[in-house]
Amino acid sequence: MTLKEKIESKRFVLCAELGPPQSCDGDVIRKKSAYFKGYVDAANITDNQTALVRLSSIASAKILLEEGVEPIIQMTCRDRNRIAIQSDLLGAAALGIRNVLCLTGDYQKFGDHPEARGVFDLDSVQLIATVKQLNQGLMLSGYEMKKAPEFLIGAAANPFAEPFEMRLIRLYKKIQAGAHFIQTQAVFDLELFRRWMERVVALGFHEKVAILAGVMPVKSVKTLTYMQTEVPGVKISEEYIWRMQAAPDPKSEGIKIAIETIQELKKIKGVRGIHLMPVLWESIIPTIIQEAGLKV
Amino acid sequence: MANDLITIDKPQITPGERILSRVMLFFEDLIKVPLFRCQHCGECILSYTAFICSQRCPKRLRNGPCGGTGENGACEVYPERKCIWYKIYLRSKLLNRVSLLYKQNKIHNWNLDHTSAWLNVFKKRIAPPFIFIRHDKQKIKDLIANDPERED
Repeated sequence: MTLKEKIESKRFVLCAELGPPQSCDGDVIRKKSAYFKGYVDAANITDNQTALVRLSSIASAKILLEEGVEPIIQMTCRDRNRIAIQSDLLGAAALGIRNVLCLTGDYQKFGDHPEARGVFDLDSVQLIATVKQLNQGLMLSGYEMKKAPEFLIGAAANPFAEPFEMRLIRLYKKIQAGAHFIQTQAVFDLELFRRWMERVVALGFHEKVAILAGVMPVKSVKTLTYMQTEVPGVKISEEYIWRMQAAPDPKSEGIKIAIETIQELKKIKGVRGIHLMPVLWESIIPTIIQEAGLKV
Repeated sequence: MANDLITIDKPQITPGERILSRVMLFFEDLIKVPLFRCQHCGECILSYTAFICSQRCPKRLRNGPCGGTGENGACEVYPERKCIWYKIYLRSKLLNRVSLLYKQNKIHNWNLDHTSAWLNVFKKRIAPPFIFIRHDKQKIKDLIANDPERED
């Protein structure tokens, strides 16, 4: 069953993130695909995340397709103008890629080329509208294509960044623009997420779009403090930090917390799936999925 | 539903108008630069963003903040600054203009960059500013409730 069918039939969805290597070694992706196959519905492939140069997400997606894993390509507005975005999307569609996650993109300052020119021709809301328009067989110019792609459109939401009210407005805009599913920022503070979901459910957004909650397993206290201080828009509950600090083996505690978080998230009304973000720790995906009692 | 974000007939600007536009931009800048720190995008959405220029955002976002707004609304790129959309939201709330933030701001026409927004409004290339707003709270409710794509 494809991701599209699963989302349309309102089943529980499992996604996980795959970071392509910082080289042209496609075997890395082939090797990593074993952690995804049979465990998740689709694998998100990051598009030069944190503005580090990596193997292209569309090329990685093609490798994953060959390995039998359904890919979701991430498409950012940082590196491409509207011409390149449309061309890349058409290319992806021709290669058999059916899912695209529309993001604005991390600012180039955070990457290895801080002196680069950021494009930001479109923003993520406009990118969603662009993909929707392509699905209808029209380019941004109004040119009618002979064959239209059929993308399932994803978008991101961050419930943990200020201004909180504005986040709901932005979610509304993304739904209006044509998003089919939403992946949230990693949940490190369940209470805050619960409150956000209550608002989302009260506004009825959960019926119009599938909300997949982000979960990030953390290896060490160091990673956690890095996430809190260096990554903007991440909120970590004190209990989480305290538990990680007190644990004799932070690695297994991190896995345990991730599993508990998944089980708690499953109970929240409106959550239609889980999106795992094991940053460069893909080998942990099968363990977490199995121990959390989840099945594709 | 028609897509607000994309306009297919893209407004063009003739060489003659460009000269007129440059003259008008000079006077426009005398007001808009000191007051709003205008970035001359030519497609002014100041009235929808509580009279704070959204183009001061490092990513030039026109539809709300990115996911990186930090503690107390710090910009992720320049932490010493406040996120421009954080400021826009606070002022919109103060001025009862939150419903205007729901507007989908369409893809920027770079052909209009560094042209006079006043001339563009006069020539009907862009929408006129929205100055007065009433019953803001009710408007938000209507916006969310009267959604034509709603399934239930």
